[in-house]
Amino acid sequence: MSDIAISARRLSPSTKAALGIFARYGTIIGLLAMIVTFSILSPGAFPTVGNFTNVLNQASLAMIIAGGLTLAVVVGELDLSIGFAASLHGILITGLVVHDKLPIPLAVIIVIALGAVIGLVNGFIVTKVKVNSVIATLGVGTILTGLAFAYSAGVPIVAGVPEAFLQLSLGRWLFGIPNNIIVMIVVLGGLWVLVERTPLGQEIQAVGGNAVAARLAGVNVDRIKILGFVISGMCAALTGILLASRLGSGTASAADSYLLTAFAAVFLGSATLRDGEFHVLGTLVGALIIAFGFNGLNIFGAPTFSQYVLQGAILIIAVGMASLGRSLAER
Amino acid sequence: MTTPFLVARDIAKAFGGTQALKGVSLDIAPGEIHGLVGANGAGKSTFIRILAGLNHPDAGRIELDGHSQEIGTPQRATELGMSFIHQELAFVPGMNVLQNIMLGVPKKTRFGLTDWRAIARDVAPIARRVGISAPLNAGVKGLSTAEIWLINICRALVRKARLIVMDEPTASLAASEAERLFAIVRDLSASGVAVLYISHRLDEILSLCTRVSVFRDGRSVAELAGDTLRRPALVEAIVGGAIRDAQRTAPERPRGGVVMEAKKLTRAPKVLGVSLQLHAGEVLGIGGLVGAGRTELARLLFGADRPHSGEMTLVGRPYAPASPAAAVQAGLGLVPEERRAEALFLSKSIAFNLGIANLDKVVIGRYLPLMNRGARTSMAGEIMRSLSIKARSASTPVGSLSGGNQQKVAIGRWLQRTPKVLILDEPTRGVDIGARAEIHRLIRQQAESGMAVLVISSEPDELPELCDRVLVMAEGRIVRELSGAGVSRKAIVEASYVEPEALMEDHLA
Repeated sequence: MSDIAISARRLSPSTKAALGIFARYGTIIGLLAMIVTFSILSPGAFPTVGNFTNVLNQASLAMIIAGGLTLAVVVGELDLSIGFAASLHGILITGLVVHDKLPIPLAVIIVIALGAVIGLVNGFIVTKVKVNSVIATLGVGTILTGLAFAYSAGVPIVAGVPEAFLQLSLGRWLFGIPNNIIVMIVVLGGLWVLVERTPLGQEIQAVGGNAVAARLAGVNVDRIKILGFVISGMCAALTGILLASRLGSGTASAADSYLLTAFAAVFLGSATLRDGEFHVLGTLVGALIIAFGFNGLNIFGAPTFSQYVLQGAILIIAVGMASLGRSLAER
Repeated sequence: MTTPFLVARDIAKAFGGTQALKGVSLDIAPGEIHGLVGANGAGKSTFIRILAGLNHPDAGRIELDGHSQEIGTPQRATELGMSFIHQELAFVPGMNVLQNIMLGVPKKTRFGLTDWRAIARDVAPIARRVGISAPLNAGVKGLSTAEIWLINICRALVRKARLIVMDEPTASLAASEAERLFAIVRDLSASGVAVLYISHRLDEILSLCTRVSVFRDGRSVAELAGDTLRRPALVEAIVGGAIRDAQRTAPERPRGGVVMEAKKLTRAPKVLGVSLQLHAGEVLGIGGLVGAGRTELARLLFGADRPHSGEMTLVGRPYAPASPAAAVQAGLGLVPEERRAEALFLSKSIAFNLGIANLDKVVIGRYLPLMNRGARTSMAGEIMRSLSIKARSASTPVGSLSGGNQQKVAIGRWLQRTPKVLILDEPTRGVDIGARAEIHRLIRQQAESGMAVLVISSEPDELPELCDRVLVMAEGRIVRELSGAGVSRKAIVEASYVEPEALMEDHLA
């Protein structure tokens, strides 16, 4: 009797293979299906070079911050400070450029260095003081929000933003590709090489895969975790800078919402190509799904609330399907 | 004779390919204090898990009060009147004494709310009887292990248990606390509650128990009571005196100078004043029972934990690794006990798992810190060939390999570094016989090439086969050194059951 029960539960090899493929490629199939659907429904507005460039340009900032977050989650931690940090960075760089009249490159370097310091603080609190990363980075993020309000006295910096600063984000370079996209490709490409193609990346993956085993194999786990936070912090700074440039102003909470988008992209990415592992390429796919989803809904004039509902739903469905498919395939 | 409370007959249980129980029988009368002893892997834990309803026997019969019963679930075991107190005590630090006593016990309610006042009235006399001195509404945070034990016993009594199974009850108790526990156990017995008392401490077994069952290799091999219940007879039954002693296959070899030395290494409570010398070209075994402090010693040597006191030297120089990374730099390698949890990255490839300890060898150049994937693959291929790791390719995930091949990956990771000292904790646990022989050959090869090898094993036959010299640990101390022809299964097991007096002398000395 028990044999029958087992065989009823057991799936045929071909079903298993199909489920396995679905678990790995489901998000990519979904992305392509979405693009095809929108193209058919709105052939004039959606599938154009202009619109695709626009979507990528818009999404680049989220992709950069999500790429940084990927490093934090790859080493097995969460970084909830990134959105608040990016807001602070945005207001800080505006202030440095407008009020302190610092040269733009110097201001950029200072802000990115601050991003690294914030990551260092996060990493130190998590690894040395041993505070859970959710609490540590939430606390740090809240402090950063406070600092942002203190720096700006609650008033956005809007007047006197030099044109050169706006051009950081609005400008175009090679073949007229928007700067944002170029920066995004450089950052994500660099992160991909770091994680996938360097010895340091092997240690990063090892810490994320099994921190105990990594330690006993001679990896300095704390150092690697701190590195993950530092990279996350630097990417948040970059996103903050580009956002301030795009908006032409510094506001104390301008980038807060990037936190949710970045997490959505990273977790969608974990359901892509690899079985539940976080990786840079996956994050890129995740961010594209979100960006094209929003764009398509915008074209159809869907109300704003529905876009949030959809983003949440896609995230849960994609990650849920992938993990269900995986567990069924493993039976 | 009265009807026994519990009768177990010919219980058998296999896990995968391992026959953990081959047929054990045991019966316990109401109010009896029944001892259960046996070496590591004799099947005690599996038997207890079956009684507790956590595992289901493949064969055999269990009767309670003369009625045949399927236990099935832990809830059913409780209903049938059995309570279990494991080494890891069940308690919730944030709750008070009474809440901890009532953990998982159905509670009286009043208007749908838990009626703690009524419960306290019922529990108070039981708590007094087992000697809980703390007030019922006190937090359990500052309480000693002994008092947590009493809370667990109290819980069993509230549940009206008729048999309480105690697993290594005195392992973490001070002598005076243990005395108090013995008094309570005798009191329980007098009131008709039976106790199944599992311990490695034979003197406790001898003074408390009226009858003792001995398990060996998954069988019940002896039941001693009355006149036959003597220490030598117990040891004999545990070791299996008459059975063949494993052939000493390890040849006598000249050994080199001292590579590593530890002096009075202490990290209480598991490692207490351990001194040892490890020579180049020797395989040194550490024997003893599970929980004797062997893994903890290895962790100190490897920098995974810091000693509270004592010192170490490595090739004559002071050695105090701050981390495993520092130990690896200094020339050590560790193959940990739990390979899946502590050694391997299961979803990653063989090449990844081998490469992680050899990253300096797979980098393209000093100024170009990119990984040379070709070099990594060929290094992995070389290790796989020389250790005959069976897998389709170096990119096969380690999680899909057999236990023996996984273990070879965990060992192989270190060999390219030619460490001065290689520590292997239970190197052949859960691997098949063929792989076991290969791993043994590999270990000896390393020693012959001049490496100092330290092997921890709980398997009685393994150390005599493999080692030039064996140190036996018991309760955190090294209690005996065996070498040459003196290394035998029997000598190791005998030394593992150290007499408390021997420990005392050692402590005074």
